[in-house]
Amino acid sequence: MKNINLFLTLVSIAVAFSSCTKTITPPLNNSPQLVIEGAVSDTVGPYHVNISKTANFYSDNVYPTVSGATVVITDVTANVTDVLTEASPGDYTTHTITGTPGNTYQLKVMLDGKTYTALSTMPKPVLLDSVSVDYSVKDNIRPVADYQDPISQKNYYKYSMKKNGIHVNHFQTFDDRLSDGRYLQEKLDCDTGTFHHGDMVKVDLVGLDAGAFNYLKEAEAVAYDNANLAAPATPTSNITGGCIGYFSAQTVSSKTTVIKNL
Amino acid sequence: MQKTKYLLAIIFLLSPMFIWAQTKNHFSISGTIKDKATGETLPGATVGFLQLPGVGVSTNSYGFYSVSVPEGSYTLVATYMGYRTDTLHIEVKANLQHNINLEASSGQLKEVKISSSSSRSNNILTAPPGVQKLTVNDIKNVPVLLGEKDILKTIQLLPGIVAAGDGKAGFFVRGGDADQNLILLDEATVYNASHLLGFFSVFNSDAIKDIQIYKAGMPADYGGRLSSVEDIHMNDGNNQKFGVSGGLGLIASRLTAEGPLFDHKGSFIVSARRTYVDLFTGLAHDTTIKKTKLYFYDINMKANYQVDKNDRVFLSGYFGKDYLQLKQANGIDYGNSTGTLRWNHIFSNSLFSNTSLIYNNFNYNTHFQSSTNNITVGSAITDYHLKQDFNYYLNSTNKLDIGLESIYHVTQPGAATTSQTSNYNSVTLQKKYSLESAVYISHEWTATDKLKLTYGLRVSDLTVLGPGNFYTYDANGNVLTNTYYSGGKFVKSYINPEPRISASYQLNDSSSVKLSYDRNVQNIHLLNNSSATSPTNVYLPSTNVVKPEIADQVSMGYYRTFHQNGIEFSSEIYYKTLQNQIDYKNGANLVGNENIEADLLFGTGRAYGWETYVKKKYGKLTGWVSYTLSKSERKINGINNNNYYLASQDQTNHLSVVGMYQASKKWVLSADFVYSTGTPVTYPDGKFSVDGSPVYAYGNRNSQRLSPYNRLDLGATLYVKKTHRIESSWNFSIYNIYGQSNPYTIIFQTDPNNMNRTQVQQTSLFKMVPSVTYNFKF
Repeated sequence: MKNINLFLTLVSIAVAFSSCTKTITPPLNNSPQLVIEGAVSDTVGPYHVNISKTANFYSDNVYPTVSGATVVITDVTANVTDVLTEASPGDYTTHTITGTPGNTYQLKVMLDGKTYTALSTMPKPVLLDSVSVDYSVKDNIRPVADYQDPISQKNYYKYSMKKNGIHVNHFQTFDDRLSDGRYLQEKLDCDTGTFHHGDMVKVDLVGLDAGAFNYLKEAEAVAYDNANLAAPATPTSNITGGCIGYFSAQTVSSKTTVIKNL
Repeated sequence: MQKTKYLLAIIFLLSPMFIWAQTKNHFSISGTIKDKATGETLPGATVGFLQLPGVGVSTNSYGFYSVSVPEGSYTLVATYMGYRTDTLHIEVKANLQHNINLEASSGQLKEVKISSSSSRSNNILTAPPGVQKLTVNDIKNVPVLLGEKDILKTIQLLPGIVAAGDGKAGFFVRGGDADQNLILLDEATVYNASHLLGFFSVFNSDAIKDIQIYKAGMPADYGGRLSSVEDIHMNDGNNQKFGVSGGLGLIASRLTAEGPLFDHKGSFIVSARRTYVDLFTGLAHDTTIKKTKLYFYDINMKANYQVDKNDRVFLSGYFGKDYLQLKQANGIDYGNSTGTLRWNHIFSNSLFSNTSLIYNNFNYNTHFQSSTNNITVGSAITDYHLKQDFNYYLNSTNKLDIGLESIYHVTQPGAATTSQTSNYNSVTLQKKYSLESAVYISHEWTATDKLKLTYGLRVSDLTVLGPGNFYTYDANGNVLTNTYYSGGKFVKSYINPEPRISASYQLNDSSSVKLSYDRNVQNIHLLNNSSATSPTNVYLPSTNVVKPEIADQVSMGYYRTFHQNGIEFSSEIYYKTLQNQIDYKNGANLVGNENIEADLLFGTGRAYGWETYVKKKYGKLTGWVSYTLSKSERKINGINNNNYYLASQDQTNHLSVVGMYQASKKWVLSADFVYSTGTPVTYPDGKFSVDGSPVYAYGNRNSQRLSPYNRLDLGATLYVKKTHRIESSWNFSIYNIYGQSNPYTIIFQTDPNNMNRTQVQQTSLFKMVPSVTYNFKF
């Protein structure tokens, strides 16, 4: 129930005649921190763990990579261990491990004498039924993820999209806290004007566990709704040891559609 | 055991009362002070005697006074700001009842010159510290946004009271939060005092008589909020003649009718107001704006009837509603309704009683609409409130206020109804029931000619009642136990003694010093972790997990008048500590969450400051300058490594200058200027990527500040020639005349022109907003 943008919109209409927006450059601190992002899924590997540092807000969206870490993923349930290889700077990949729903995975990163660990359990897969399209707002055509939420169990989701094979830099989370057992038709936000006639859209419905979801939900609020947070804070990581980021054992279900001509 | 302790405390506190011996041949003079032309009672008017410089009394909220004097003949002096002082010769041989009618002084305020008793009647020297009063007359020329004169906006120009910001509801008093202000309209609690997301207050100034503000030294009959009391009285209605008044403004119009009832024994007033922004949005080309519904209305009604010499009843009510909806899409509506039935009874010359039966309700609904989703989310709080107060005027130097009250709160923290195809289930959270009660006693003692003491004790209780499930949680917010209590069962009781004491010592005819200590307890908490002014707030009464908030404040000040009361000067300092303050965990779910308490964090706070105020009351140029230097901090478990950090209400420097100039018989020019340090905010100290999208990392809570806030407003009022039939005026104003961009929101986002960079966008509201209002009365 993301109602907060609504108020902003209403407010800006209420005072459309006298409001104004400008770009400002307040002085911001810059304290680089370690960021670890990794996932294991029920789709074919290899899986990736990316290690980087935070960047200055005013610089380009280029994040300094961190090399030389020892990264290990263990399937705790099946007792399989995989030591990752740094395929390119900051990008560590798996070799043998496979993702199985219901299994618990451990991430262990050793870097500069410190150890960072996380546990994540892969949920049972929830399948995407179809992807439909909401054409009701002309300049904001939005894909809609259609699927059945399984009843009587907690489910946590993330949506991500590809447009003509290219990843769309926008993510969205959802949980069934208030929607248990519903047939869901979720409109997927992205920047207005992203999709046009003829575009092929691939939607991933990603099933998460609670720890990864909480991190992503907080990250989503910080990324797209920070103006409305009374006290914005760095998302709470599910990795212990003092870093930003998350480790997720997740399921992925994908569907594709093509945006029609109107 | 506990009860005995309280009883002992009360007896101890009141022991000085038993010292006085009632002297013989004293008689009381009592009555009501009213406006001669309209019959409106005048609360806070003073009665003194030329021959008895040490004796004086102010009228209570119903205009009633009672004072006892020795047998003899006296010149009684009745004064009220903005009215001609009335003097009257009386022979006191027995108890007297004497009603006084004062005449409003027309035009500019002239200096009132009365000799010996003048300093006594000057409220600033004797009232408790931290108390201020404004009448609608005081504010009528102060320029305001869109020409809607607004008593709640004007008090934000007084020392120690600061606005939450342009376009944001609420105000902060002495470093407290917006929900820590007790806003009363004819004794009924107004939970949400803002219209249109905070651009206006819910108080239509045509229906308002005055406002009394307590930042410290709250009398024991008020309780329930930590920071301040805003006690607003509605007009009673003219009991002399029928009249209609109103105003036509750019975005809102008002109409008021008032007049006598029952052969002048009673009167009524009905005042209504509605905005019509939606008429203009209908003309817009943009279809989103065109189909937007956006309006508010409010209605104030009051009637009173003097049953006999000693009995008077009042019935007053307020109904207001805001409605905002984007074209057939999302929308919100919210509103307050209050009703107060009161009975004034004069038992004897010296004992005044008021019984009030009060109802109030605040509710909001949020609507989400789309092709597949239809959701309405609502929340509400309803109070049933009984209050009994006695004012006992023992003799010329002693007055006792005794009373009790009980409020039954029913809160619905959230209910959602959804359509068949919606993404959400219908959900109704358990209603929460609680009983908030208090007894109080307060003694006002004029110890000597110079020393006046008011001290008392309020004992408040909040009892959490069933039915419902009550949970306990571990440190991580996981449910430990879940216990069901059936209807009416006591779940938990919080009893809190709240001592209040204030003393004023008059140094000489024109200066005084004052000291006060007070404790306030708050049992209704507003939960909101969004900085947006959304009315979708959750009101939560204290529960088995959420403890009552407690504030202790010490305040002292120096007060002085110059030029025979023409200029008032005051300087106050205060120190306040706060307990059981509420904050939120990251990602807290406040909507539709049965276990909302698990998402809360608790801690303490402290606030201190220095306030200075100079007011020029008479002459062609009137106005005031107020300056506040202050600090407000919080220390919450789980935030900022459990260290103190600046509260979001902190504004180091705050300056307001208000001036009104009577340029001619027709024209009054006015201006106000506001400057304040930017409030603390938390800004990113870096960024990282999640799925290719930039996300921000943050440092310590509230370690940066917004840019300073400042603006200048100008206004002019043209009083059109008054005829015997109609009186009218034009009000012109420009808000923020030099177009200062004061921050409303700051957004950190991807640069739309370069997706590989991020930028900071500041949105400002209200740059050079002109307005014209036509006011009439006939």
